[in-house]
Amino acid sequence: MKPISVKKESQYVFNHCAKYLARDNSDIRHNFGQFTDNDPAARICESWRFPIIDSYSDGIDFETSYAFNTVTFIYPDFDRSVENVAVIGSFANLYEPMSLTRVENSCYFALSLLIPKGQVHTYQFLVDGVLKLDPINPQTVTLDNGKTWSRFFTEFCTVPLSFERWEMVLLDRLTDHILPFHTESGENFLDRYYENLDRAAKNAQFAHAYRLDQSVGVVNFIDKLLARSERHFLDDYHTCLDLTNSILRGRSVAEIAAMPKAMFVDIYAEMASGSVNGWDYTRYSNPRFFLQLLRRHTFTGAFAHPKYGGNSAASAWAFLEERYKSKVTGETLFDWGRVIEKPLGFAPNYHG
Amino acid sequence: MEEEFDVIIVGSGAGGAPVAHTLVNAGKTVLILEKGPLFLPQYQDDKGLSDFKRDELFATGSEKRITLSGVSNQGSSYYSSHVEPDLNDEPHIYQSADGTDKATLEGYTAQVVGGGTQLYGAVSLRFTETDFRLGSFNRDRTDILNDPNDDIRREAPDWPIGYNDLEPYYTKTEKLIGINGTRANQKKFFSADNYQTPYSPNPISRYVEVGMDALSLPRYRTPLAVITQDHAPSGRKVETDLSEPAKTGLVNRYGDPMGYKSNTWVALLSPIKDKDNFEIRCNCVVTHIENQASRISRVFYRDPCGDQKTVRGKIVVIACSAIESVRLLMLAARENADFAARINPNDLLGRYFLTHCFGGAETEMPDRFDKSVSLDSDWATDAFATEEFIRSKGLWAGGAVYNNTSDQALPISLARTHGSQDIDTIWEAFVADTAKTGSELLAFLDRDFGTRLSVSFMANQVPLRTNRIELHPTVVDKWNRPSAYIIKDWHPHDIYLMDTLAEQCKNILAFGGDNGIGNYPVEGFGAVYMASNARARIANHILGGARFGFSPDDSVLDVNCRAWGFDNLYLTDGSFMPTSGSANPTHTIQANAFRVADKILEVI
Ligand SMILES: Cc1cc2nc3c(=O)[nH]c(=O)nc-3n(C[C@H](O)[C@H](O)[C@H](O)COP(=O)(O)OP(=O)(O)OC[C@H]3O[C@@H](n4cnc5c(N)ncnc54)[C@H](O)[C@@H]3O)c2cc1C
Repeated sequence: MKPISVKKESQYVFNHCAKYLARDNSDIRHNFGQFTDNDPAARICESWRFPIIDSYSDGIDFETSYAFNTVTFIYPDFDRSVENVAVIGSFANLYEPMSLTRVENSCYFALSLLIPKGQVHTYQFLVDGVLKLDPINPQTVTLDNGKTWSRFFTEFCTVPLSFERWEMVLLDRLTDHILPFHTESGENFLDRYYENLDRAAKNAQFAHAYRLDQSVGVVNFIDKLLARSERHFLDDYHTCLDLTNSILRGRSVAEIAAMPKAMFVDIYAEMASGSVNGWDYTRYSNPRFFLQLLRRHTFTGAFAHPKYGGNSAASAWAFLEERYKSKVTGETLFDWGRVIEKPLGFAPNYHG
Repeated sequence: MEEEFDVIIVGSGAGGAPVAHTLVNAGKTVLILEKGPLFLPQYQDDKGLSDFKRDELFATGSEKRITLSGVSNQGSSYYSSHVEPDLNDEPHIYQSADGTDKATLEGYTAQVVGGGTQLYGAVSLRFTETDFRLGSFNRDRTDILNDPNDDIRREAPDWPIGYNDLEPYYTKTEKLIGINGTRANQKKFFSADNYQTPYSPNPISRYVEVGMDALSLPRYRTPLAVITQDHAPSGRKVETDLSEPAKTGLVNRYGDPMGYKSNTWVALLSPIKDKDNFEIRCNCVVTHIENQASRISRVFYRDPCGDQKTVRGKIVVIACSAIESVRLLMLAARENADFAARINPNDLLGRYFLTHCFGGAETEMPDRFDKSVSLDSDWATDAFATEEFIRSKGLWAGGAVYNNTSDQALPISLARTHGSQDIDTIWEAFVADTAKTGSELLAFLDRDFGTRLSVSFMANQVPLRTNRIELHPTVVDKWNRPSAYIIKDWHPHDIYLMDTLAEQCKNILAFGGDNGIGNYPVEGFGAVYMASNARARIANHILGGARFGFSPDDSVLDVNCRAWGFDNLYLTDGSFMPTSGSANPTHTIQANAFRVADKILEVI
């Protein structure tokens, strides 16, 4: 089966390409540590936006459409030297090529496909018969056969992309310590919330509701952020999680998941002070910087729209919704669902 | 043959769109060249989707870092909105208090069809009658405080038009743009009331009502460019089963996927979009303009691929927002001595750059409310813009005061703006406040979520010749064109004025919080001059730099906003303003652009 292609106006392609790709200047202005300097992506802005992952709608049924994203592949041909571009990828059986078309005689080739949410795919471009990685998208994976492919993932994705299992367990403990859900009222709430969701899971309203093994999915959010828009922090995480892991293991024989909360209280406080007992400063000079980064990512991941991979089933919004109620009427004082698209929220006319 | 249009307009925001609207309806051929994308609201998309989303991460995106060389904040983080330019690709540089140059996100509105009106808070006040004649008002005064060098009496200019000249255009703007509000208690003359009926105020604004009443400050519902009813001039509809559907808390810094917010695309350009004599080319940045003697002959732009194109216009209107418009003119002047002699014979281009004196007071109120069901503001007062008040405090000019309801209404915005209000320093305080974790973080949410209320002022800044836009000597944008260089500081009187008005804002909360007694504790009050990056701060109000005036000796533009040295070059964005007014500027930019359009019709 080939995925369905979606017609997008040329205006859409220009709207999402010009700012990021068109330029004269070829300075390396966009390398924050995630690229080598000779990577062409270091010269263009927000290369992670490609392919363009966007909402899908068939214009009729917004709730069934919600299961899909529109994914638009872009191949730029600034010197107009290319005749044919196609994409082959794991989203089509047998890696059948699907053609991109040149948009209004411009430098951009484009193709939009309907891809289910929650998926990861690998692909390459066939440019005049030659297989090439996507020249813009920095996401690549090296497969078991040693070949490198370009990669993208759609919204609500829960496949681990940046972290190993042990890193996720450790990160879960650290983020848990930052967030308010590890408090008694937080835990109570989440247990009840997810239990109700499990029961409701079959009705479409909760098509994207699932409980991750982390409290509100923040680890998954960070995993996705580091795979895409903030890849320049991936090494910070790998290094700091490794250092933290060995310190904790030196302090206790227990598994990370079973270590007492107090150990995380301690190491958090040490990181905050900048001086962590046993930290290898030659490998990472500023543990406080890492902690600050983790604080921003954790808070954002908990409360951002669930499509980014955290705030699973909008649990963090629901927590605030339940916690803050009018003393007079008992009505919630955070009615987030009112303006958020269905099936997540219940806005009558906003489609997300 | 090069294409030729009657009128080419550069920029589709508050300054550009009213001109297009008027001239297209008068049958002229008009081309808008707009650097940014065209993002449609849902109702104009055949599949019912918009590129604007109700998504907090659209207002401030993922982390990026300044990589430019030669700036002292190289390596600093920044988080821009999806419709702001990328700071590394298109930097604005300012001179900071420590003498070094820094890159800043300040000084841009939004780069999208509709310009800043896509992201704005939509507060749409008129200026007061006094704002138009601060020169004559101050000339013979002896009671102005904190003006050691007598700058004000020397520098304060009158506008070459008065309130009465602009009044019909305020009225027109209110009708065509779609603004809700109330007229009673506004201290300005209105020839007609075109306001739509405002929504009910957010209940937290009750404190402001009480505070303003206790202090006998006549209040009115803040005029907001958001439609609350069907809007015939633009064909927009509000019907939905949700009551007051435009209230989302995602207002300031967010585009509106529904098109209720009256940006210039939905309000002014959509009604003309299908006419044969109108064209808008989006994702096309104008890089250069060329003249033949007193006429602008060609406009150079880059298409969405970056390929260079040129077009001709009998009239050329520049409305890129003040800093970028001034830069475009300076770049043309740099290429061509004749252009320079015409646009800048008196070294006035780029000078008298202005923003507003702004600040206010903020505190946690006794009760919690759902601030996510709100627009940007509920109540405003003109009490601090009257000549009586101005004189009583030894001020040179006044300001508007209004409350904000949508700020910090949502969880991420609460955290990222905790302790820092501006776009250059968001997140900094929250991430550094490492004690806010676990139960402490919960306590922070318990205390601050839905409880915080702020009252702001927006006031005239003293115009100074030394506050200016230049071309930066070394930093260039992604087209290799020199970047804008912002050099400005606050005058001692500005600081006095800000302290004075911050005090009034504080009083409103102090009286509002305890039922009119006046002792309610107000944690934070102050103004922009106190910020570490005070010299960069512009509040998105980008004004002056090509002011209009009475003669070529005192100004860059004539009374009709035509450049003195050219027959066919007009500027209609915020750059024409000789003083910044006692209110947010957009309504006045739009009204003036409608006025200039009528003047253009007389000569074309
Ligand atoms: C978050 C935010 C909140 C705000 N809140 C308010 C408010 O509540 N009330 C208020 O009155 N004002 C508010 N403003 C300010 C308001 O947006 C501006 O005053 C107004 O938009 C300025 O109008 P302008 O015509 O000068 O520029 P803009 O409206 O910014 O229009 C300039 C246009 O020119 C385009 N452009 C720039 N350079 C080029 C080029 N070289 N070639 C082609 N096109 C170009 C830009 O992309 C843009 O579309 C706010 C702004 C922001 C960002």
